[in-house]
Amino acid sequence: MDNSIKVENLVKIFGKGETKVEVINGANFEVKKGELVALIAPSGAGKTTLLMMIGCVETPTSGKIYLGDEKVYDNKWLIKDTTKIRRDKIGFIFQAPNLVPFLNVIENVTLLSVTKGISKENANKKAMELFTYFDIAEKANFMPSELSGGQQQRVAIARALATEPEIILADEPTAALDKTRSIDVVKMLKKIAVEQNVAVIMVTHDEDMLPLCDRILQIKDKKVINKKIDKII
Amino acid sequence: MNLAYKDIKHTLGKFLITAMGVGMLLGVVLIMIGVYRGMIYDAKVLVNDINPDLWVVQEDKMGPFAESSKIHRDLKNYLKSVEGVDKTAAYTFQTIEFPLKTKFTKAMIVGYDVFGEITPINPKRLIKGRNINKSHYEIVVTDKMRYKIGDKIKLLNDIYTVVGITHGTVDSGGNPIVYMSLSDANKIQFNYTNPRIRNDRARGIKANRDSDLVNTIVVKLKKGYLSDLVAKNIKKEFNKNVFTQKDELFFLSRHVIEKSSKQIGSFTVILIIVSTIIIGLIIYTMTLEKMKEIAIMKLIGIPNSKIVNMILQETVVLGVLAFISGNIFSHLIYNKFPKRVLLDLNDAEILFVIVLVASILSSLIGIYKVIKVNPQEAIGG
Repeated sequence: MDNSIKVENLVKIFGKGETKVEVINGANFEVKKGELVALIAPSGAGKTTLLMMIGCVETPTSGKIYLGDEKVYDNKWLIKDTTKIRRDKIGFIFQAPNLVPFLNVIENVTLLSVTKGISKENANKKAMELFTYFDIAEKANFMPSELSGGQQQRVAIARALATEPEIILADEPTAALDKTRSIDVVKMLKKIAVEQNVAVIMVTHDEDMLPLCDRILQIKDKKVINKKIDKII
Repeated sequence: MNLAYKDIKHTLGKFLITAMGVGMLLGVVLIMIGVYRGMIYDAKVLVNDINPDLWVVQEDKMGPFAESSKIHRDLKNYLKSVEGVDKTAAYTFQTIEFPLKTKFTKAMIVGYDVFGEITPINPKRLIKGRNINKSHYEIVVTDKMRYKIGDKIKLLNDIYTVVGITHGTVDSGGNPIVYMSLSDANKIQFNYTNPRIRNDRARGIKANRDSDLVNTIVVKLKKGYLSDLVAKNIKKEFNKNVFTQKDELFFLSRHVIEKSSKQIGSFTVILIIVSTIIIGLIIYTMTLEKMKEIAIMKLIGIPNSKIVNMILQETVVLGVLAFISGNIFSHLIYNKFPKRVLLDLNDAEILFVIVLVASILSSLIGIYKVIKVNPQEAIGG
């Protein structure tokens, strides 16, 4: 199966009665392994909500979601252990690095691997490979507070990759970075998608990042539309 | 990877200060329990030191500590004729304003027959000097009065010499005990001024008629005789009230210090409840402070069990550290109190269990929040 993410007729409605707000109404799209897909929309249009539904954090109102070959949501039915799905299949990157402040850099990155039962030695080895890749190997034993914003974001990306997930969900990962660093991060995500055969969805407001992506998903009128990059640009 | 250890290490100073703060609170609880225990212990010091089998007091009276009692001193000789009676001694007890070096303090004067068969001074408590061995003008005081052996103390018109110093001798009200001969004690109690004596004479009252009276006669039995049986015989033969040592201890705890001990006891219970609530709130707040980190961990796929373990382990460590610092704190300050504070290991152990259970229960509220938290909301998505 080439599709890592498959969404069918996905609907999300918040509230009931007069306070009912329909955010997504019938989203249909797929993301293949090795693809870096940008998710764009105006603020409040439901980008993060869509990302969180795919990540099994937010429960949809109806529709279907497949992650890899596993159905995780099917019209009111949600897979029981959503934490395990996130642990096994998904890597998250947020706007802010959101590192655990009481763990050092390498512990932040290996926490999930060790929890999954990977030996500490192997987890550390993998983490150091990622740090070398992201050029932060010398910061492995630093506390997050001792790193710059850009370095913290690279650690956050390393954390998302440490367990070799099938999917990476990145919610505005470049929002807090300057242009040069933003381009670096997106290039890095593209490289990861290709080299590690990972499906990446990246929410972004920054149009300069779009040419670096393979495809664009745009939320418009509560629907998700596939767009070609040149059209958007 | 032990998350609790990592978190504590990261905020070690704050964690230790919190533990010390909670510990001081527990220390205060331990001190209060100690005050309560000390009050009960103090109330029984004198009765336990004399430790007779029977207390003979005025008929229809609960004396000598619960009610005033006056009986004739020579009754001690007649009591010897009762079968089973081995030793007898007359005692007086009176509270006076006793002079210290610079001020006065309330003290209990215990008057006893210094050549008698039952001495009230427990040899274990006599830390300096000796027992009284003269029938007049010798006195034994407690160390808290800060007198030295050989010091002279003026009481009314007479000078008394300190010959012995005791430690830990107090009456049921926590006042220090002063020991002196029965005749000296009676002199202090019934010493009237000349105008009073003249007035009494004019009224036909014989001078110093009361000096033959004492508050109680204590009795030690021969081996093999039952206290209750001999008490019954004395009661019948001499028409006096007779209490066993067990009765007297019961009166002291039930009648003499009941209200004050209940008051301290109630206050202690309230303090334990308040402390438990405060500890609960501290632990709950500690958990809420970590909610963002917890949300991140949940979002990236860390199972609830690992997060719950972290909170529980931190709670137990906080409880143990607080308990240790509370004990250290209470042991550092307990002897600074004017009255006896009796720190009991059993109380500390029970308090430890209460604190631990309370801490774990309160952490459960935090844990419930952790399980229910929406990671997206917590990280502001």
